[in-house]
Amino acid sequence: MQKDTVFMKSGEGEIREVEATPEVLTPLMAAGWHQHHPEKSPVAPAEEGK
Amino acid sequence: MANINELMTCFSFGKQADISTAQTVGSMWRLTNLNRKPWAQNPVSEDDAVETGKGHEFAVQLFKSHYAPPEYEIQKYLSAEFAAWAFGFGLGNVVKSGTTPNFIYTITPILGATNPTGLELPYSTYVQQIRPGGSAVLDQLFKGCAVSSVKLALRNSPGRGSAMLTAGLVTTGQYTEPSTITMPASTPVHEMQAGGMTLTINGIDYVTSKNFLTLDWGWSNNFRSGWFPGSGSQDGFQTQGRFEIGDRAHGLSFTARFANGSSELTKLRALTTGTAVIVLTNDTNNNLTITEQKMAFKVAEIGEADGIVTVSVTGSQLYDTTNGLVTIVAKTAFDGICQ
Repeated sequence: MQKDTVFMKSGEGEIREVEATPEVLTPLMAAGWHQHHPEKSPVAPAEEGK
Repeated sequence: MANINELMTCFSFGKQADISTAQTVGSMWRLTNLNRKPWAQNPVSEDDAVETGKGHEFAVQLFKSHYAPPEYEIQKYLSAEFAAWAFGFGLGNVVKSGTTPNFIYTITPILGATNPTGLELPYSTYVQQIRPGGSAVLDQLFKGCAVSSVKLALRNSPGRGSAMLTAGLVTTGQYTEPSTITMPASTPVHEMQAGGMTLTINGIDYVTSKNFLTLDWGWSNNFRSGWFPGSGSQDGFQTQGRFEIGDRAHGLSFTARFANGSSELTKLRALTTGTAVIVLTNDTNNNLTITEQKMAFKVAEIGEADGIVTVSVTGSQLYDTTNGLVTIVAKTAFDGICQ
């Protein structure tokens, strides 16, 4: 089963993808990290005629 | 004349983009409230009584001053949805993970140094209505509502009242009237009563030993005043432009039966520290876990309740160098809370 992950960002701007468990998140959040939402990838326009 | 039972309220589960931008109805939910009072707006005026030059000590003129809405409490039976909201908006650092039907909100207090919005917590929008429409008695939308306090009370009584969660709200004074909000349908919630809780404090499982009586958990953000030059105004009355956390206060106290082998006094004398883990459950997808990362006992007082010897303990919450002060994990099927 695939692990649930989230992106976290530190106060210095470092971004890390981590496992979304309290054991992993708590020390990061206590150190000032917060959730980062990466920009969604732009959707490629559909090719005409298809 | 209007009956207070006609009062309808909704508020945003999604956070506002900023303090003065109201959320849209799509990010609002309609929950009931045990607090039967509407939220007062309280415009404040002042006069010129103390000014000399009038020939007497009486006021002759009134001036617009400011909006001073009091702190307003949303009082509810504990539910997974409202817990995620109250702790999320009250503590501020929220990480959402999971997928339908099991969203997980991991919540800790913000650190002002690294919080993207500095000392400010997320803001919500609050709506209250009585007979909205052409002959509304009350139809107001309050912008920039911040959670100033959170209180969890667990009691040794049956029913929904055994677990209560209360959030204290403050607001800027900025409002929209009429709200233009069409009240959404009632939001179903998953309530959690104390009968199903588990609790371990400082190494002691109080539930298995059947010795637990009551617990009170509290959080206060002690907001600084939001008045400042440029904070804003509406109708000529000044409004607040920010709610910044002050020196936050956090407390946990509980009462348990005291028997042979009870270790509260021993642990206080030894200054023993440990975690406190409170778990309340509706089902697998709707539950709440509060972990005090490092708790000692400040006071342990022997007493009596209903003829049984008890010990009432006031906790001393310490900041753990690795895990901080407190972590809250609220699981709910409801998406988008404090997002």
